[in-house]
Amino acid sequence: MRTLGYFIGTFAVALVLGIGSAWYMIERGSPLTTVKAGPWESWLSEGNPHADPYTKAHLARSGRLPLTSTAARYFVAHADDQGSSLTSSCEYLIIGSPLNARWWSLAVYDDYGALIDNPSGRHSFNSEEAIRRADGTFHVTLARNARPENWLPSGTEHRRGLTLMLRVYGPRDTDVLGIGQIPVERLPKIERGACE
Amino acid sequence: MRVNLPGLYIALGLVLAGLIHIVAVLTLPLLAPRNAQARLAELGPVNTMIQLPAPAPGRQVMPMIAPDVRYATCHFDLANGPVRVRARGADDLWLIAFYTPEGDNFYTVAGSDMKTNEIDMVISTADQSVAEADVDAPEAFDNIVVINSPTTEGIVLIRAPLAGPSGAARAEQALKTTSCGPHSVARSSP
Repeated sequence: MRTLGYFIGTFAVALVLGIGSAWYMIERGSPLTTVKAGPWESWLSEGNPHADPYTKAHLARSGRLPLTSTAARYFVAHADDQGSSLTSSCEYLIIGSPLNARWWSLAVYDDYGALIDNPSGRHSFNSEEAIRRADGTFHVTLARNARPENWLPSGTEHRRGLTLMLRVYGPRDTDVLGIGQIPVERLPKIERGACE
Repeated sequence: MRVNLPGLYIALGLVLAGLIHIVAVLTLPLLAPRNAQARLAELGPVNTMIQLPAPAPGRQVMPMIAPDVRYATCHFDLANGPVRVRARGADDLWLIAFYTPEGDNFYTVAGSDMKTNEIDMVISTADQSVAEADVDAPEAFDNIVVINSPTTEGIVLIRAPLAGPSGAARAEQALKTTSCGPHSVARSSP
């Protein structure tokens, strides 16, 4: 009887450990599959026919259809530079450096990857339209209410979770495998401002 | 020899956890909700180019779709022969990507790699001939990109990133000139 109890206990622990570790490595990534730099995360083998099972599972869950890393790089952020989750209750100053690529775009979504309704109909800034400063950097303010320069609206709703995605098409620097290289110090800084 | 009982249970637990981990990772793609490629494939008939609506709140074909890119897609089926995809108004920002039904991006043509803004492609399986009917001159083939698909069905997704504020109308107009359809193949030599 006691042995049976031990067996059931062992099985329950194994179930939690097995599913938990699988969920974590698929949802959050691991050094095997993802590059992390500050709040930004990038899955290196997304879309690649030879991708590992973790990347394939991650992609299947995301419902996206990305280009491979030789044609484009995608960086996703759910948090600011301090590690706090992005929310529509706060304002953020996003400071970006020039990126060596044919085209890039910084877009905002809610936690489910849906575009956020707003009166100005703006959901992103790309390399062709972002207002740049004299030093080549661009400052985007992610806020609910209108801001000067590049204003990225986070909608009217309070406490909405936000996700930022930086897509870089045709990166010009590549490694020997042809994978587009974006130096991590070039990724935009996300500074939290006032919160409501 | 005495067997250390707690040690045995820990070892058993770890082996079991490992097995459950592997099964979970491998089955998750099968259990996932409707994926992007299935959604795109259902937008219309096969071998037809379909323009996606401009991404807007409540009008997204895929989660995290780029709001400043215009898309066109073709669900190709090579069962009855090769399929031809043409884009006449492509600019050098365009990316024409080919996917298997599993979402593997097996080939990408970048507009910037092309000499002209007219991109002509033929998708075929490895054992299909793409020689055109009634065409003797092989040089006519010079500008055609032949793409071998690892699967008989798949998805072509054309991305037209917007260049500047007036880019949307231009990109949408240019995507209208893209086409997807059966490629005429020589059945017998004269």
